[in-house]
Amino acid sequence: MTKQTLYEMLQQQGISRRGFLKYCTALTSLMALPPAMIPTVAKALESAKRPSVIWLSFQECTGCTESLTRSHSPTIEGLIFDHISLDYHHTLQAASGEAAEHAREQAMKDNYGKYLVVVDGSIPLADPGYSTIAGISNLDMLNETVAGAAAVIAVGTCAAYGGLPHADPNPTGAVSASSLIKDKPVINVPGCPPIPTVISGVLAHYLTFGSIPELDDLGRPKVFYGQSIHDRCYRRPFYDKGLFAETFDDEGAKKGWCLYRLGCKGPMTYNACATLKWNQQTSWPVESGHGCLGCSEPNFWDAGSFYQALSIPDGDYAKAAGYAVAAGVVLGAAAGYANQKIKAESAAEHTEVSVDDFSLNKKQ
Amino acid sequence: MNGESLAGIKVQVETPEYETGNLLSIISEIQYALQQLLEHKKVHSIDLRAMPWSSGEEQKLASYLGKGEVFIELNTLGKSTFIETQFSGVWLVNHYNQEDEQIAKLIEITYLPEIVFSQKEDIKNSLERLQTALSDDKQP
Repeated sequence: MTKQTLYEMLQQQGISRRGFLKYCTALTSLMALPPAMIPTVAKALESAKRPSVIWLSFQECTGCTESLTRSHSPTIEGLIFDHISLDYHHTLQAASGEAAEHAREQAMKDNYGKYLVVVDGSIPLADPGYSTIAGISNLDMLNETVAGAAAVIAVGTCAAYGGLPHADPNPTGAVSASSLIKDKPVINVPGCPPIPTVISGVLAHYLTFGSIPELDDLGRPKVFYGQSIHDRCYRRPFYDKGLFAETFDDEGAKKGWCLYRLGCKGPMTYNACATLKWNQQTSWPVESGHGCLGCSEPNFWDAGSFYQALSIPDGDYAKAAGYAVAAGVVLGAAAGYANQKIKAESAAEHTEVSVDDFSLNKKQ
Repeated sequence: MNGESLAGIKVQVETPEYETGNLLSIISEIQYALQQLLEHKKVHSIDLRAMPWSSGEEQKLASYLGKGEVFIELNTLGKSTFIETQFSGVWLVNHYNQEDEQIAKLIEITYLPEIVFSQKEDIKNSLERLQTALSDDKQP
């Protein structure tokens, strides 16, 4: 952890207070906090120091790092050099072999008890030879590195829940980071890959407040994973009206109707794709005409066909996802259990407001 | 792509035949916030990137709010634009980074967005610079 605060660093770079406030505004939006929190973020950042980060890549496809390097707000350069001190990332760093491992050991020694460990990829337990770095098994490196960490961020579904390597028949005996780490806080940031701004948003939360955000029962930050894709989907009005695309090229698909019957897993998937979107907020899978695959949920690879509708009973799927999915006697009427619960709670907590209460409606 | 940014690709947005319903909610929130500003001097902000929109819906909101009498552009860590809408006290704020990518999009209900004011720390810094210049005999 460097001695200078982030604010002092920005000042040294000649950035004005106004620039700092703009930075705080962008960061608050990135962390999915309400704009009323901007002064709080500014105050926290005035005394925040750059944490040392050690990034461990295990059984993964590098998609998560690819995703992070496409995080545009703020840029990856800003993220690495201004926000965090990324002391070890063997995919991105120039050094390799012993020199790289020395950098990791030095960062651990200098910041013992304070550094942040980011893990992407699952850990093979069947045979350590499936994945090694500089001759060190993934399990040994994880145990050794996590020992002095303040917290661990499991980036991607592989690190969070085992992901693709964990899929049946799981030849490498792949397990998640959280199943091995029991004495440190673990933040799961699942997704295949996770949304880039979610990765940097979680890192930003840690550097700003020095704490981990509130998590759901699967260890995910509620601020990004608190609502289902279905609840935030712009196609939701079609679902409510019972208007569904039946094939990918029928009239319903062309009109942008709900993709529920084409296997969209939006009702049981918790992620922020519907609001944060992808590729500089250009679009997201459902907006591109394809149903959600449910990639931020455990065991999504073993959850049956991506094109099988949720309301069609599927024992394996229900077992894997841990949800009572098949409420659907009437096709198109079933949502996940959690979704129904949220809807019921919302209905109980809110009184109905007529559209006539709003003057705008009269003008439209 | 030839290094082009996504923003450089022209996209024609079709008017949607469906809406999320957020447009009406936002306008009513603005109406309430404006009343609070007038009666209690309470400022309010809405993060437009925190909610889902169907294609074309955001443009519909922008055109409903329209453009008023003031347009301000800041240049700090990239461009920022502040448009006072046709509803006085309602500002459409866009922040961009140095690569001209949008990093925040807000509606602020206030007399003038706070960031536009000269900041105390910056004024202090300016004063020191002027004092140093004059004492060093580096007069213009």
